[in-house]
Amino acid sequence: MIIEAHGLRKTFHAKRGRGKTEEVEAVRGIDLEVQKGEIFAALGPNGAGKTTTVRMLATFIAPTAGTARVAGFDVVKEAAKVRENIGYVSQAGGVDENNPGIDQLLLAGRIAGLSKKAAQARADELLAAFSLTEIARRPARTLSGGQKRRFSIALGLVTAPPLVFLDEPTTGLDPQNRANLWDEVRGLRDRGTSVLLTTHYLDEADALCDRLVIIDNGTVVAEGTPASLKKEVAGDVVTLRLKGVDDAAEVLRAQSYVKEVRTEEGLLRAYLDDGEHGLPHLLRVLEERDLTLESISLDRATLDDVFLRHTGRSLRDAA
Amino acid sequence: MIRQTSLFLGYELRFLLRNPVWPLFGIMQPVLYLVFFAPLLGKTTSSGSMPEVLAMFTPGSMMMIALFGSLFAGFGMINETRNGVLERLAVSPAWPPAIILGRVAKDMLVLVVQAILVMGVAILMGLRIGLPEFLIMLLLMAVTGLFAASLSYGLALAIKDENGVSQLVQFFAMPLTLIAGLFLPVSLGPDWLQTLARFNPLYYGVEAGRSLFRGDLGDSTIPIAFALLIGLALITLVWSMRSLRRLAA
Repeated sequence: MIIEAHGLRKTFHAKRGRGKTEEVEAVRGIDLEVQKGEIFAALGPNGAGKTTTVRMLATFIAPTAGTARVAGFDVVKEAAKVRENIGYVSQAGGVDENNPGIDQLLLAGRIAGLSKKAAQARADELLAAFSLTEIARRPARTLSGGQKRRFSIALGLVTAPPLVFLDEPTTGLDPQNRANLWDEVRGLRDRGTSVLLTTHYLDEADALCDRLVIIDNGTVVAEGTPASLKKEVAGDVVTLRLKGVDDAAEVLRAQSYVKEVRTEEGLLRAYLDDGEHGLPHLLRVLEERDLTLESISLDRATLDDVFLRHTGRSLRDAA
Repeated sequence: MIRQTSLFLGYELRFLLRNPVWPLFGIMQPVLYLVFFAPLLGKTTSSGSMPEVLAMFTPGSMMMIALFGSLFAGFGMINETRNGVLERLAVSPAWPPAIILGRVAKDMLVLVVQAILVMGVAILMGLRIGLPEFLIMLLLMAVTGLFAASLSYGLALAIKDENGVSQLVQFFAMPLTLIAGLFLPVSLGPDWLQTLARFNPLYYGVEAGRSLFRGDLGDSTIPIAFALLIGLALITLVWSMRSLRRLAA
């Protein structure tokens, strides 16, 4: 177990004008267990408490309550030991715009205790691994978003830590750079590094991680592998647009092959384990009741359906 | 500790060497004052000779670089509170004070080099100064730079807003300049101004500089200036390091 957290809480005291303070409970009791060598994701809308959780695990802020051990060390009592064993890549990136990436890699290596030679060797290694060698001497402000992001991850890996935190690693990247970055994160895992990443992209958590937690309002609402979480909901989801949503929902709830029915304005979602075979039946019963469809679609259940099931709202709306 | 500080210092200096032009702009202001303003001051000294005028005016113009240069040193750090650089360093194995100390050391070095250049110009114009006085003056500038830069980093980390810091620095710089007698000694002014000046640490710095330039090594303002500036530098240094630690919460 590379991360073990129990009942993590963080309450901030935000100033609200003249001497008044307001308590903001950013994280309200989170339990986490991350295995060695896995890519673990914390998925949730903006403001769910993902970043605050990562900041506590990375020893940047102390928890208000609860305990956590990272790489075998307590995040409060043995913060220095934790820091020796982690790489932390913040959402902001932490790349100094005014200086070339190579200088920043060398400084990061040297302050971690490497000799000049060892720091140079490590920097060259990382530059090659992230295809940055050719732009290593350019001031970081002249680089593209994707290049800067690769530098920020390289900076987090200078000490070859067994665990790396990536906070919203692909926010703001174009689809191509995102896909490339996913490959690089998978490469990290293949070389034995454990990864904890936060994201509000459903497809990212689905495609990239081995296990995940869904975080909402400062608590964990679901945990598992992407496949097992989706299976909990159902294999497929049929989305119908029609008049008389409530009637249709009543009819479909009575059908044995329909696991669950959710309705929104003019929209109905029916969860089926086997959509291909269930759909004809479903259409027939709706026909019998004279319910006319405006549109219909059959999709595999996504993590959004998992989020919807646990929080009652869609992640797309929550963000 | 020293290793870590020198690593950060080296990083900052490499940046400076790639962009060596900016600190040169910093000395333009005092040099312009020396060339165009000092000649107007002939009547304010007893003999009115150029060397005497320069001995009176040069220390003030040097303090000017500290006020309008080193006090803005923290500006770059405001951005670093947002772009994640300080955050990354805070959870790195770095010894936290070195993050500030390395930068402050760079600012001290810059100020000393600027001071050498300004004194060089003054010497070319006719200033006469002995080697010990010259070296002690550089030391005084180093201590002033330590104070001004630490104050600037402290303000930057506490306020974290470019507009706020620039307004605040301007707000303080002007009265400090006037009440220190940067351009003309306050001893020319009324009693109330002289009394007020005694509460301004910069006043002692300027007066100590003038004593040095007169060759008056025994003057009491010199130890007072050093003690005061070192004391204030330590306080602001500790403050800025604490602000750095509090950045997270």
